[in-house]
Amino acid sequence: MSTHVDTFSYDDAIVRKFLWATIIWGLVGFLAGLLIALQLANPIFNFDISWLSFGRLRPLHTNAVIFAFAGNAIFTGAYYSTQRLLKTRMFSDGLSNFHFWGWQAIIVAAAITLPLGFTQAKEYAELEWPIDIAIAVVWVAFAINFFGTIARRRERHIYVAIWFYIASIITVAILHIFNNLSVPAGLFKSYSLYAGVQDAFMQWWYGHNAVAFFLTTPFLGLMYYFMPKAAERPVFSYKLSILHFWTIVFLYIWAGPHHLHYTALPDWASTLGMLFSVMLWMPSWGGMVNGLLTLRGAWHKVTEEPVLKFFVVAITAYGMSTFEGPMLSVKSVNALAHYTDWIIAHVHTGALGWNGLLTFGMVYWLAPRLFQAPLHSKKLAEVHFWIASFGILLYVAAIYSAGITQGLMWRAFDETGRLAYPDFVETVMQLMPMYWVRVVGGTLYIVGACIFAYNIFRTWQARPKTYEVPMVSAPPLPAVYVDEHPAPVPAGAIARFTSAGWHRRWERLPTLFTVMVVVAVVVASLAEIIPTFLIKSNVPTIASVRPYTPLELVGRDLYIREGCFNCHSQMVRPLRHETERFGEYSKPGEFVYDHPFLWGSRRIGPDLARVGGKYPDLWHLRHFEEPTSLVQNSIMPGYRHLVERELDFDGIQARVDAMVMLGVPYGEAVRNAPELARAQANDVGARIVEGGGQAGMETREVVALIAYLQRLGKDIQQAGGVAAAPGATP
Amino acid sequence: MADKSQHEDKLLEHEYDGIREYDNPMPRWWLWTFYATILFVPLYYLLPHPFGEGDGNVAEYEASVAAARAAMPEQVAPTVTDEQLVALQGDRAVLAEGKAVYETNCAACHRADGGGLIGPNLTDDAWIHGGSPTQIHHTIAVGVLAKGMPPWERLLRPEQVNAVTAYVLSLVGTNPPNPKPPEGPAPATGT
Repeated sequence: MSTHVDTFSYDDAIVRKFLWATIIWGLVGFLAGLLIALQLANPIFNFDISWLSFGRLRPLHTNAVIFAFAGNAIFTGAYYSTQRLLKTRMFSDGLSNFHFWGWQAIIVAAAITLPLGFTQAKEYAELEWPIDIAIAVVWVAFAINFFGTIARRRERHIYVAIWFYIASIITVAILHIFNNLSVPAGLFKSYSLYAGVQDAFMQWWYGHNAVAFFLTTPFLGLMYYFMPKAAERPVFSYKLSILHFWTIVFLYIWAGPHHLHYTALPDWASTLGMLFSVMLWMPSWGGMVNGLLTLRGAWHKVTEEPVLKFFVVAITAYGMSTFEGPMLSVKSVNALAHYTDWIIAHVHTGALGWNGLLTFGMVYWLAPRLFQAPLHSKKLAEVHFWIASFGILLYVAAIYSAGITQGLMWRAFDETGRLAYPDFVETVMQLMPMYWVRVVGGTLYIVGACIFAYNIFRTWQARPKTYEVPMVSAPPLPAVYVDEHPAPVPAGAIARFTSAGWHRRWERLPTLFTVMVVVAVVVASLAEIIPTFLIKSNVPTIASVRPYTPLELVGRDLYIREGCFNCHSQMVRPLRHETERFGEYSKPGEFVYDHPFLWGSRRIGPDLARVGGKYPDLWHLRHFEEPTSLVQNSIMPGYRHLVERELDFDGIQARVDAMVMLGVPYGEAVRNAPELARAQANDVGARIVEGGGQAGMETREVVALIAYLQRLGKDIQQAGGVAAAPGATP
Repeated sequence: MADKSQHEDKLLEHEYDGIREYDNPMPRWWLWTFYATILFVPLYYLLPHPFGEGDGNVAEYEASVAAARAAMPEQVAPTVTDEQLVALQGDRAVLAEGKAVYETNCAACHRADGGGLIGPNLTDDAWIHGGSPTQIHHTIAVGVLAKGMPPWERLLRPEQVNAVTAYVLSLVGTNPPNPKPPEGPAPATGT
């Protein structure tokens, strides 16, 4: 054994940077959430400003909370713990700082482009292609820095927290790249490489696993470091760590299709999504069990230590939402919950409870160590804990009841066989009291976050003039590994397997470990992706389905720009109450030219899959100008700017050309898209005048959107299409 | 699994930044529940609907539609005559109901006072689809899909359709301000 000892220091300056970014973006993300909650309670809070409308701000809220708040929290904890768990400074301070500033620049770019309406219309993957490329570059820099650190470690084996970081870094990169593949049609405009059913599949493969590998596995990594540190107790079970780690990594990937139950996605995919979600229940709970049981013998500390209080409630929230996830993925439960606020409540149990409280606890633990001063006030941290917990309770209680109420109203029939609540707005009105309670709950959570920020700020103010940089000593890893405590190898294959000696070996071979993670993720992904793309019968062709006209295409892009998909689905499920309410259920073949798909995930307003031809053009015009003039009590904001802005006819050709690159058969529109668009716009304008509306609309953006809406759901009613359901209700 | 007591809280040798781990076995309830969820997979494919997969979403949907039809045979709305509809105008309760139905469903396109907006003026003598009480009743009940007029009988009960017809009849001749110009022929019989 070598007697040589290295002396080195950890880079805590980068941890401090990420910590401040976490706090600042957290406040921004929460406030954006409060604003959109207010907009649902009263549309007056859209302020009649295009870039402040719900459709544009909802993605800003989700992106800010997930990638800015939770993202920076992950980096804070990972940069702190990785160095210590591997007994080495980060591989490169330069890469650390590139990662930090690059990530913040991406967040700023998101905060500017999303309100401007630049979006890919895929949930949590809204950012347009230049920003996507930047994300990939920064993520790769982070990966190089992280794996470089592993390569330089002075600890032979990698600890479970590191396993979770590895899985997160690898999988997020794969998900991000393959879901965002697209063809640009301008600097901030692109069309997804995939269409319709396949695009939906890829999106929820990504979307579900963003929850898994951005909001779950990295936070489990944080939990495995900060929980035993704060509790000063050993982790409950090493074997449980192994089993729940690998089962999470492998099983999670399959579960994405449960976001698409009863849609045009083929049944087999939907079923796999459900079954793997059910199997995920215990692997997820493995994290909860290991976290909570680590506190055995230390529960008395929870009463005195706010950090542990935050951790306990965070892990409990994790347990609740990972029970609820499998439950919601059961098809019959999903039929009720899908498109309602139930899902919103579910994700907020996770985000406010698990991610939020774990982050707060972690920062309270880190602040005195990073700022080298005692926490300003333990009492305020306690106050924060109680306010935040109560706020979460109010929020989710209100929104669970809202979701279940609306789900039940949608499916209710009266004794004459008619829908009991045929007026969609009536079902929205029922939710208003709950929406106000949510506003109160969210406000409490934000008050808590402000107290938190103040507490950390005051702690920082008490810091020493210059931070002390403690030097650490550790021997370098010898070239050859010698097991100093060889465990006896049990006889028998099963005993050898359960003794986990093989896994111990993987832990000292991080390259092998990483390869195994990649294999698990890729095998699970391909098992569903390959059949989705190759089996033709998944998407039976419908002869009458044609590409959108150039005007409809640009109208669709306006629908995307305004974020209409955030409130309106375009997917009638084969459920009797839905076909009664909206018309014939949606067929997979109807979406073959939909780059991207726009099925939506929440019905704040009615489904639009069959809205074509339901109302006259003039109705749509008046409705965009002022929705409440036609639909009393509507909470949709007005879109007067669509009526005022001139449509960019000349820009249409580039859009059509990009679609042609994706294989959409555009025929003569390849050459003269603007002319075709102008001709169709003139027709719409003339119909508006004929109906008694104002002249001059044919040059405005609104005509394109009207043309698109009037097309929706019409193709299968043409000859050669599927026969329409006998008289659906309006 | 090895005997529980033997393994209880035995610390493993390794240590990371002060963090130790126990060699505890996985909790039995946890492991057995996990096995049960795995067993659920073959069971789900074997069991019939509603416990298992069944024939798929579309088949289930079609069965539910057929079941609903069987339970609720097509109701033929009782026919109404011109005289009955005219007589309903004298019933204040019916008119009040008709007004409520009108304000919720019709006012958006025909204006609250019936003067016409996106839909035609209902207060003049001109009727695009016929101006007799039963013709108006028919237009409301069946709709004019090509022009965006929905078939209201699917949403409204027969007595509600009658009531709103009576209310519309009561609007004729009210001369609201700024009406939409008359569309369609005036009835040959005159007023």
